[in-house]
Amino acid sequence: MTETETAADTTRTGDVVPTALEAAVTTTDHLRIGRAWIASGVLFLVASLVAGLLVSLERMDLSGMALFGSVDTLFRLWSAYRVGIVLLAVVPIIVGLATAVVPLQVGASSVVFPRAASLGFWVWAMGAAITVTGFLIDGGLGTPGGASRTDAVALTLLGMLMVIGGICCSTVCILTTIVAGRTGGMTLSRIPLFAWTVLVAGSIWLVTLPVLAANAVLIYVDLSGRSAVAFGVEDTIWEQLSWAFSHPQVYAFALPLVGIAGDIVPVAARRRHGSHSTLLVLAALIGLLSFGAYAQSAFDIGTPIREQAIFVVEAFLIVPLVLLVLVNLVDTLRRGAGGRRTRMPAPLYLSILSVLFLLAGTVLGALRAVAPLDLLERSTTGAQFTFTIGAALLAAMAGTLWWGDLIVGRVAPQGFGLASALAVAIGIGLVGISDTISGFMGLADFTGGDLSGAGNTGSGVDVLNTVALVGSVHLLVGTLGWLVTGVVRFRGAHSLGDTWGGHTLEWATETVEVTSESPLLDAAVEVDA
Amino acid sequence: MSSSTFAPAVPNRPRTLVIGSALASSAVLMFFGGLFALYFSRRADAMAWGMEWFPEGAIRLPPGGMNMATMALSAITMMWAVYSVTNDDRIHSYLAMLLTAVMGVAMLNQTVFYFNDIALPIDHSEATTFLFVIVGAHMAMVLVGVLWLGLLLLRALGGQDTSRNRDLVSAAALYWYAAVAVYMVIWLGIYIAK
Repeated sequence: MTETETAADTTRTGDVVPTALEAAVTTTDHLRIGRAWIASGVLFLVASLVAGLLVSLERMDLSGMALFGSVDTLFRLWSAYRVGIVLLAVVPIIVGLATAVVPLQVGASSVVFPRAASLGFWVWAMGAAITVTGFLIDGGLGTPGGASRTDAVALTLLGMLMVIGGICCSTVCILTTIVAGRTGGMTLSRIPLFAWTVLVAGSIWLVTLPVLAANAVLIYVDLSGRSAVAFGVEDTIWEQLSWAFSHPQVYAFALPLVGIAGDIVPVAARRRHGSHSTLLVLAALIGLLSFGAYAQSAFDIGTPIREQAIFVVEAFLIVPLVLLVLVNLVDTLRRGAGGRRTRMPAPLYLSILSVLFLLAGTVLGALRAVAPLDLLERSTTGAQFTFTIGAALLAAMAGTLWWGDLIVGRVAPQGFGLASALAVAIGIGLVGISDTISGFMGLADFTGGDLSGAGNTGSGVDVLNTVALVGSVHLLVGTLGWLVTGVVRFRGAHSLGDTWGGHTLEWATETVEVTSESPLLDAAVEVDA
Repeated sequence: MSSSTFAPAVPNRPRTLVIGSALASSAVLMFFGGLFALYFSRRADAMAWGMEWFPEGAIRLPPGGMNMATMALSAITMMWAVYSVTNDDRIHSYLAMLLTAVMGVAMLNQTVFYFNDIALPIDHSEATTFLFVIVGAHMAMVLVGVLWLGLLLLRALGGQDTSRNRDLVSAAALYWYAAVAVYMVIWLGIYIAK
């Protein structure tokens, strides 16, 4: 007789369990990688905001330079704030949200190339640590007086290159997931708005951040071990890299906020968007108009009028597009007013506020393009940066409150999260509005370079500088509150699954067929019928 | 946390490795695009002011031309590798990938020899800084390609590069073509136009 033996149980009780560190380093779980991005991004955000707060403090009395003692140190902190909040905080947090949520939204079991996604995070994290170290040891991205240590500047650039490499690596994984990892029926026109905006914004990042890397490599090579010939001359370094932290590149970094708001609003309103396709097209157009910052030479002496016209038209075109996004979202809310719950979810307020701030940023971007106003080098540039990147930050906070249950598996106190985010919103408003008015009064973007003019005591912007300082404090306090919300979430009760009654696939708890951009809503409608 | 079950992905989706490689190659091309844009812009400014760009006789066409020919040939052998793998022709795919990798190494060797030969210091001028950065970055790109091909060869020897599993070869090919395209611009913009 033939005997069939079952295979022996190969599970051994003595198997080595990886330590927390080993598990973190070797993980291929997209939720875990996403959490790592978000947590690290928030920590670097706190560091960036501390730098911003110190700069705001120094602005109270520029002529005295009581805090830093020199314009060069002030400039180092000022540039650290700009670089940090974009490349070390807001973009990484959005990458983290995308890594965790987008694969689920498009029906993929995980992010494509999970090891590469993990590698991207670790390269970014090491690069971020090196960048911060570079800024702290008298490096940074050059100073007006050329007082930096050359090797420390090179270190900062090396860190920045790693940061860009890490972000690009993870972006490739996320975009490949969206393009090639979608489940059956999930056509590009049906993918949720967050996934779509990540696809558009990520594509823009992939074609612009390498150009920033090219600039950084030229500077790095020029100043390494010898006297700089052209690119590494210290007072020109920031000039070569600053395009990545101003109009219109900042719109590319902020674009996913349209997707976050676009996914939250219909669920909160219990209504579909009037036209999902319209929002897809609007997001794509905003992405398109945010491209090309590195080529922007408008208003430089000798720039042909044709080139100037392109950038002026671009700056103005983006305003009605963002306005149309807002109108679409408000329309969805209005149409859903009859059937909505009595209490709207906290992330809804934040996401709508974030679109409003983005609108303010685009309006300022358009005003900067009006040559007679002479706002290009004024603090309106800083205000535009604050509104746009602040909008992205607020949307990221809304995103973590919205998808947090899914990403962590535990619930967080929504009220405390909302209060923290509102403190951040107030901070963005105060800093943005005061810098806008100061810009019209003649305050320079980097105020330390304008000691003899606006910015000094008695120059008329003292009160506004105080308001900006209060705003900076709000930003920092709100962010610390966000951090606490995250910590509390990890100790919170287990999530029950679909927290909000979501419409999109990331909330699915059973197999569904994708027949539109809201497959779960379709399924619910079928059950009701 | 919710446990989600979805319908399995449709198998005829675009190939993830090829798409990933296309996206990564686009990023690399934009890196070089940024360098070339700056190079041509600064060169045009220097010419407009009647200034010398490269020192007279420093850049010679024959080494650059030979490198271009080598890279062009390597693009053909790379196509041959993809064709062979698609048709389960293991012997020819070994040969094609090996030849491509050897040509990549030859190009690197030639470039190192040439730069040692001309002994142009990197800090001689803005132009030489550009030269070293652009050519050096391209050498790094080719080196990554050669290492990738080495990995493919190891897999091929293990019998893994078959027509059912050809995506890695196609993805490497895409990257290699991008490296050839970049060298074409270097050849035209630096070695010919000087």
